[in-house]
Amino acid sequence: MNPSWMRALFIGSVITGSTLFAALPSVAGEETIGSVKNAAGKTFVVRGGGEIPAAAGFKLHLGDTLETGPDGRLGVILRDDSLISLGPSSRVAIEKFLFSPAEGKLGLTTRILRGTMAYLSGLIGRLAPESATFVTPVATIGVRGTRFAIKVPE
Amino acid sequence: METLRSLAVAMVAPALLLASCAAPRPSADALRPETTVVLLPDADGKVGRIIVANQAGSRTLDRAETATSIHDAQTAPAEPAPMAAAEIATTFGDALAAQPPRPLHFVLYFEQGSAELTATSRGELKAVVRAVHDRRSVDTSVVGHSDTAGDARMNLGLSLQRAIAVAALLSAEGIPPEALEITSHGEANLLVPTGDNVSEPRNRCVEVTVR
Repeated sequence: MNPSWMRALFIGSVITGSTLFAALPSVAGEETIGSVKNAAGKTFVVRGGGEIPAAAGFKLHLGDTLETGPDGRLGVILRDDSLISLGPSSRVAIEKFLFSPAEGKLGLTTRILRGTMAYLSGLIGRLAPESATFVTPVATIGVRGTRFAIKVPE
Repeated sequence: METLRSLAVAMVAPALLLASCAAPRPSADALRPETTVVLLPDADGKVGRIIVANQAGSRTLDRAETATSIHDAQTAPAEPAPMAAAEIATTFGDALAAQPPRPLHFVLYFEQGSAELTATSRGELKAVVRAVHDRRSVDTSVVGHSDTAGDARMNLGLSLQRAIAVAALLSAEGIPPEALEITSHGEANLLVPTGDNVSEPRNRCVEVTVR
């Protein structure tokens, strides 16, 4: 193993570590909050007003909106191990993601704008059930550690 | 698909009403498609609870495969009712099929006061590497922990060193560093709860979550 590479990794990690201890992520930003695991048909992420094609391995940021075309399907895993998947013609925004279990800072707010979505709770749903919320144009869904599916018409 | 189905419902519903001549023709608003939420069991068959609420009222779903529908924000969610498996498959089949497999968890253990893996855990590294490759994971977390023996600050440093040691071993096996997220909890988030100053081998560990 290359010692200078090790040192770089060590310093890098110390910086990453200290950022995380400060538990900053609560505004849209560069922080990875999860990744795309599977994608079929037309799938993309709306970020900063632009559309980015979202294939497997794409890293998600806070504030991203997941979107699928009429032939699209998309599955993602968030950092708290939540599983979120979309059927065709769907649009789902991840508006809040706070995952800092050591400090007890936990929160997930997802907005389902249209289409179909399935969800399986991760650690946020298990450790702080009151803090996982799904918002639709007609109602809000609170989750107590579980799996559900939802359809929101156009 | 979605539009076609809604269209089919919109076309069939008035036809049925006309045929029966029973009810007055519903307004276009009443025919507007509804938002539907269905509670499902997880892979282990466990069923949780969801609460669907708006300004007009709230409903709790706590039985598997029961659903409520919501017409608009000014109308309370409908009384929960069972949803047939076939209807769940028709409506949510694509979204459910796209659900990724659950992440894999590994716990690797360390010698007392050191960032040296135990012999057993060294042997388990190969399984971790295989999981990262098999899952094509770009987001694997490596979280360091310590027991409560000694100073809390020292333990925070030690748990970070442990996480870094595991990340270095994984990188040496060809896993790109950008796929690894390194954090440490020190003695703040014990896997096995103990009091302070307790030497507990099961807390001298690194958790690896392969997503």
